[in-house]
Amino acid sequence: MTFRQARWDEPNVWDLAPSADGTPPPQIPGVPDRLRRKEGVRWPELSELQVLRHYTRLSQMNFGINTSTYPLGSCTMKYNPAISEVLARRSGAAQLHPYQPESTVQGALELTWRLERILAKVTGLPEISLQAAAGAHGEYAALLMVRAHFREQGELAQRTEVLLPDTAHGTNPASAAMAGFVAREIPSKDGCVDVDALAAAVSTKTACFMLTNPNTAGLFESDILEIARRVHDVGGMLYYDGANLNAILGVTSPGRMGFDVAHLNLHKTFATPHGGGGPGAGVLAAGETLAPYLPVPRIVKTGRKFRLDYDRPKSIGKIKTGYGNFGLDLRAYAFAIAHGESGLNHISRRAVLNSNYVAARLGKSLPRPFRPLVKHEFLLSGAPLKERGVRTLDLAKRLLDEGVHAPTVYFPSLVEESLMIELPETESKRELDGFIEAFERALNDTPENLKAAPRSLAVRRIDEVRAAREPLLSWKDLRSSAAKVEASPPVAAAP
Amino acid sequence: MLSALGIGSVDELFRDVPKKARIGRLGVGPSHEEPEVVGEVDRLLGRNRPYSQFANFLGGRLACRYAPAAVDAIVSRSEFYTAYTPYQPEASQGMLRALFEFQSLWVELSGMDLANASLYDGATAAGEALLLCRRVHEGRRFLVPASLPWEEKSVLANYASGPGLALTEIPYDPGTGRLDLGFVRQEVGRGDVFGLLADIPNGFGHLDEGIADLKGILGTVPLVVAADPLALTVLEPPGNFGADVVVGEGQGFGIAPSFGGPLVGLFACRKEHARAAPGRIVGASVDLDGAPAYALTLQTREQHIRRSRATSNICTNQSLMALAFVVYATVVGPRGLANLQAALSEKARTLASALGSIDGIHAPRFDAPYLGDFTIELRRGSAGEFLEKLRRKKILGGHPLADPRPGAPTEPARILVAATESVGEKEIAKYVRAARSILPGLREAA
Repeated sequence: MTFRQARWDEPNVWDLAPSADGTPPPQIPGVPDRLRRKEGVRWPELSELQVLRHYTRLSQMNFGINTSTYPLGSCTMKYNPAISEVLARRSGAAQLHPYQPESTVQGALELTWRLERILAKVTGLPEISLQAAAGAHGEYAALLMVRAHFREQGELAQRTEVLLPDTAHGTNPASAAMAGFVAREIPSKDGCVDVDALAAAVSTKTACFMLTNPNTAGLFESDILEIARRVHDVGGMLYYDGANLNAILGVTSPGRMGFDVAHLNLHKTFATPHGGGGPGAGVLAAGETLAPYLPVPRIVKTGRKFRLDYDRPKSIGKIKTGYGNFGLDLRAYAFAIAHGESGLNHISRRAVLNSNYVAARLGKSLPRPFRPLVKHEFLLSGAPLKERGVRTLDLAKRLLDEGVHAPTVYFPSLVEESLMIELPETESKRELDGFIEAFERALNDTPENLKAAPRSLAVRRIDEVRAAREPLLSWKDLRSSAAKVEASPPVAAAP
Repeated sequence: MLSALGIGSVDELFRDVPKKARIGRLGVGPSHEEPEVVGEVDRLLGRNRPYSQFANFLGGRLACRYAPAAVDAIVSRSEFYTAYTPYQPEASQGMLRALFEFQSLWVELSGMDLANASLYDGATAAGEALLLCRRVHEGRRFLVPASLPWEEKSVLANYASGPGLALTEIPYDPGTGRLDLGFVRQEVGRGDVFGLLADIPNGFGHLDEGIADLKGILGTVPLVVAADPLALTVLEPPGNFGADVVVGEGQGFGIAPSFGGPLVGLFACRKEHARAAPGRIVGASVDLDGAPAYALTLQTREQHIRRSRATSNICTNQSLMALAFVVYATVVGPRGLANLQAALSEKARTLASALGSIDGIHAPRFDAPYLGDFTIELRRGSAGEFLEKLRRKKILGGHPLADPRPGAPTEPARILVAATESVGEKEIAKYVRAARSILPGLREAA
């Protein structure tokens, strides 16, 4: 298949038309002069058609799930059902202000409550809050709950550490630090938690152990029950990072594995679109110990009525405006009831089958670290590429030329030149085979071509070092850098 | 596929999950075909009463504002909405460029040097700003207006709690709602304040001219301004009166309120704070051929590289909402936005004077300028009771400002009222009539 992305020579929006001429905006009576804007906002005046053309052209220079196979490990890039987009735009969903009286939002409260009940079953943890806007937001809130719990126990001064494996997502240690803990990494053994190392690390200083299962190497942590015991024995909490839940739906659950608290990403497992970087929707699921600390309000059912309950004296309070990303919760609910018991079970089975199938075939071309049986994603090492003078990065860029997105690269860092590949359940065998062929074509291409990739996209390889060294972060920067170029004296011609 | 793997059943792929960790049935019910899903979701949504069915005066940080259909036409393009974070910039120029335009627009509105590619919402953007202040300035206390909406105070308290920092509330003048600058001066003088947040409009919907004096008092202590983007089309950019960070809630620009999310957090700061800033940032560069190209940049600040020493844990942000924000602003245009704010302000003045004529309502409660929102105070009854009675007359009369959590300090019956786009003379007259008939039946305030 020959692939060509649109390559519009599209200017930035401010170069499409002149901006306001500096005339002041309309005066508003009573606004003191000091607070009044003296010059109108510098931004172009465009017709609606000009705006639509501009952003439509930009959209044509972007990969999405609907255009391309998207094997981005840990991101679970599955099909986002079209019907969800329709439903989320209904006036009964979109035109609800969070401060409307409860009597006017009964359907929204019920939908949220029903989704919570489904998620309680999926996680095996009884209490749910949908307030978190994303996975990392959920992690952070969960750690604040852990903090509140130990404060109440009078152990906060002592419980200073959050432990996590060296394969953890970067958000885990970052969330731990924001919540005021010291993040301590536990080295892995054969891609999994080294239980002996964990046993040596846990102590009465341990507030929490954060774990993704299956982990970022795509391996199921088979020692999970032992891990849970070790953490609980010292009085620590066990935290489940739900980024990889897609692999275990209906097989096991965080609650069953012994976790005390979990976050899920509805934008992964429950197919809400990721929007080019967001919005997401985090789910907080808590067992008995930590449930009292969940954010307020909680949604409760009294008789046939639903209401927002603020009477949770131990709650950490609010973590964002409103009650969560309702527009995404609605999509997740539609997805959950469409799938039901059999559909949710099918997801994990098919996702794991896809992953093992592609892993087995690509494992003939590049080394696979650790044991062969994987869950929803797997790792390859691009280290052998170095013998040909190329790197994983070059392979990733060359894959783009095939019209498929690149895998996650250089993470986790314990594998040299790693590629992390995830092909969720919505990719058919035909797509998988297409991906494998594209991967092999890319791999077998000449070093010159690999280094020159991509060639079929709107732009060629981008100088990211320059972007970081000489940051140009807005139109304002572009204007001043252009002014500098104009102001600098012309280079004297050689005599 | 099974034969390629040399196995007889998918079950064998789960042999690494110990038996003791297995679960039986989930118990989540049967699957449904698409028409059934639509039926069920519509049944639930049918139990909602969208604000469009009322005379609607709800506002605050979230606005019930019309978004031209062109916004959704762009946001609905699946090249945008089904994409992930642009980790491969060459394949994601569309979103990167849109985000660069979004950043640029918030820079223009705020008067700052750089903006990030969005945070979750205005409240979490304020929380991240608090953490930035602590990174660039010593101290243990962060000053916030006592008039800040309780939700935002609660979110900020959470951001402060991790590193063991404290919030101190700045009292306001009971007549004007203006910040007590003497108090600020005294607290800053103690030397343990690492930052201050002030909002414009403030939690009462009003403007406080004193915000322009804050930086002079703060000196090197960073000033965070939480500003409404529509207000900034007619107000001085906070950068011009010394703000170090400008945050805001961007939902009013092309994003439906959707019961409170997804929203979009706006964040901009001065250049010297660039490496202390949270979140994704898009930068301009060039490709191999020297053509302009865009990529995520300054990533050494971020969690995937810096891990526990990152400036923030944020990974997923609100890119699609940032796209809606910039498309909305560009479709409406800078003059259109300023004119919209002017029109809402005019409506608000009519509404305030109409409500002020009612015995039993103090409207506006504060003697201070305002744009589209302002606060009223009831002289009898509770805010909840009053609003519920209005609701029965098909009016959403605003929202109570008090913290609803049991044990929160009791506050006067204050309601934030907004002149929304859908409000006209008819709706104002309806509100006044209804309030006049409801108030005499309410209990006299103690």
